[in-house]
Amino acid sequence: MKTLLYVFIGLWGFLVCSQNKETLYDFADIPQSLLLNPGTDIRFKYHVGVPFLSQIHVNAGLKGGSLYDVFADDGRNINEKIETTLNKLTSNDYLTFTQQLEVFSFGWESKKNNSIYFSGGVYQELDFIGYFPKDFAVLAYQGNQDFINQPFRFSTISGSGELLMVYHFGYTQKVSKKLTFGARAKLYSSMLHVRSAKNIGAFTTIETPQGSNIYQHIISNADVTVRTSGYASLRDIEAETSSEEAKELVNKLIGRAILGGNLGLGIDVGFTHKIDDQLSVTGSANDLGVVFYTKDVETYRAKGNYVFDGFETPIQFSGEESQNFLDEFLDAVPLDTLSSSYITMRPLKLNGSIKYAFNPYDDGSCDCFLAGEDPPFRDALGVQLFMQFRPKRPQYAASLFYYKRLFNFLRTKVTYTLDDHSYYNLGFLLSTHIDKINFYISANNLFEYTNLAKARGVSLQLGFNFLM
Amino acid sequence: MKTQKVSLLVLIIGIALQLTSCVKDLDLDQIDDVVLTPVYEFDFLFSRIATDQFIDPNTDPTIIIQPPPIRDTLNYDLLSTDFVVDNLERVELTFEFSNTIERDFVFEFGFLNEAGQRIGPSFDIVAMAGNGEGTDPVITTEVIVLDTATINVLGAAAKLVSSISVQNVTSTLQGVLELKSKGTYFIIYEP
Repeated sequence: MKTLLYVFIGLWGFLVCSQNKETLYDFADIPQSLLLNPGTDIRFKYHVGVPFLSQIHVNAGLKGGSLYDVFADDGRNINEKIETTLNKLTSNDYLTFTQQLEVFSFGWESKKNNSIYFSGGVYQELDFIGYFPKDFAVLAYQGNQDFINQPFRFSTISGSGELLMVYHFGYTQKVSKKLTFGARAKLYSSMLHVRSAKNIGAFTTIETPQGSNIYQHIISNADVTVRTSGYASLRDIEAETSSEEAKELVNKLIGRAILGGNLGLGIDVGFTHKIDDQLSVTGSANDLGVVFYTKDVETYRAKGNYVFDGFETPIQFSGEESQNFLDEFLDAVPLDTLSSSYITMRPLKLNGSIKYAFNPYDDGSCDCFLAGEDPPFRDALGVQLFMQFRPKRPQYAASLFYYKRLFNFLRTKVTYTLDDHSYYNLGFLLSTHIDKINFYISANNLFEYTNLAKARGVSLQLGFNFLM
Repeated sequence: MKTQKVSLLVLIIGIALQLTSCVKDLDLDQIDDVVLTPVYEFDFLFSRIATDQFIDPNTDPTIIIQPPPIRDTLNYDLLSTDFVVDNLERVELTFEFSNTIERDFVFEFGFLNEAGQRIGPSFDIVAMAGNGEGTDPVITTEVIVLDTATINVLGAAAKLVSSISVQNVTSTLQGVLELKSKGTYFIIYEP
């Protein structure tokens, strides 16, 4: 209970957005844009990411509240603030955290067919989303006295978390002057996975003026499942904390990272379609795939119905045996531990954009393109849409963006995004291109950096590449 | 030259982010003041006794009977978990008797430990006499408060014993005595 409260409140300010990378999407100067759309219209001939430094990505967000709501130093009692926040939050509010680290990445233009670009690499991803378990937070914080006849729904318990490695390889082909298409195959090796979704049933205390007692406490159609994989074998290690055990834990995780975990397959596909020289449309689908959880699987499931209306006395008049309340409850709603395999879809992400480019480098001020190729544009304006499937419902975001090549060595993109977290999400990407070295850094929710306590989402990514 | 320019730029942005990103106006120590004070209501005992369950209707109606108390023992361990003992501040037991039998009843209850020994206080409530079968029942309501000290003693409770007694009855008496009750549990939990 204590841990839960700490974790939830502690993570409050720092967590949750979706995996939207609005600044990086279709930013064709950086190879990592190929991970968002394998059909990005890129112009480089090869790239190598600096190992462990080519993409560092952290994304945290919270929908519905902020750390400030609860911990503001404003003289009000914290319990009052918790109560206000509790009443404000709904079970569709959530906390999310995503972290990615590219271990290495590379790409090259095919020698046989220079319209094809191959790219591949390995990255690690940690992804967590926890919905606010509104009904049970209320039950724990306020009790059932003020909520007679109102159901506490198990469906408000929902969340998932996963730590995995992704091995990927794909290609990008300029099919014609107007169309670039790309696809990427992915092999997932899941190290840890926890998921509880689609729970049903409710706990309700109803008033029964005609019944045998004042109330009936009813657990109806309960079916609550928590699936885990990779957890059961670690749990035993966690119990001990000697360095030997810690070593074993690390070895286990590394083993799973290098294809020893639960494996899965997926694809990314995407395209860029140039309507004319200046106007283009793009679209992509990422992580259309599944992971098969067969190893080290433990699923906990509680299912059943139960009605309690007190203890009857004298019991001899009803002819029933006196039973322990807890035993009776556990018989009616048994908790089973299963080890059957399961399959889970990866969180599918969809991106799309329309871009209008203008102001080309045709005044001879830039030697940044090859003879015979069209000069690049210095400015572009457009709209992007993003959608990610989550356990409860999809998350959406829409962005306006402005791309600007300030100099050939300094390229930027500014985004203004509307999403679940805020209506004032300003993002910025800065990419430097000096000789063959590319460095980029991007952050969103810039307004909120002035006070992270009030932030409802923060995303940061940066990396180094060699490009030519 | 260019490298210098860029390093400078990165540095400036870095410093700007450092300067502007901060966590203001927060007092995280407030976590120590967090107190959960939920109030739970759960059904407690219930009972329904009709006259024919303790008086043989064939008894000569002129005979006045002193029936033995109706005694009962139930398994009851709701108060015995550590969480409850440590964090339960108060319990209010609300009893509501509806009586149509024209006699007062005395309801008495108390608790036993694992060894079957009486622990804590005993409680008794008089359910007032009703006005006979077919009349509106006479309602007796009583609230018994268990304070922290009593709850600590009852932490060892494993069984609940109850008895219902009535005096001076005849086989002409008709009616029903009903009991409904609930416990209101006031928790104070400092995580």
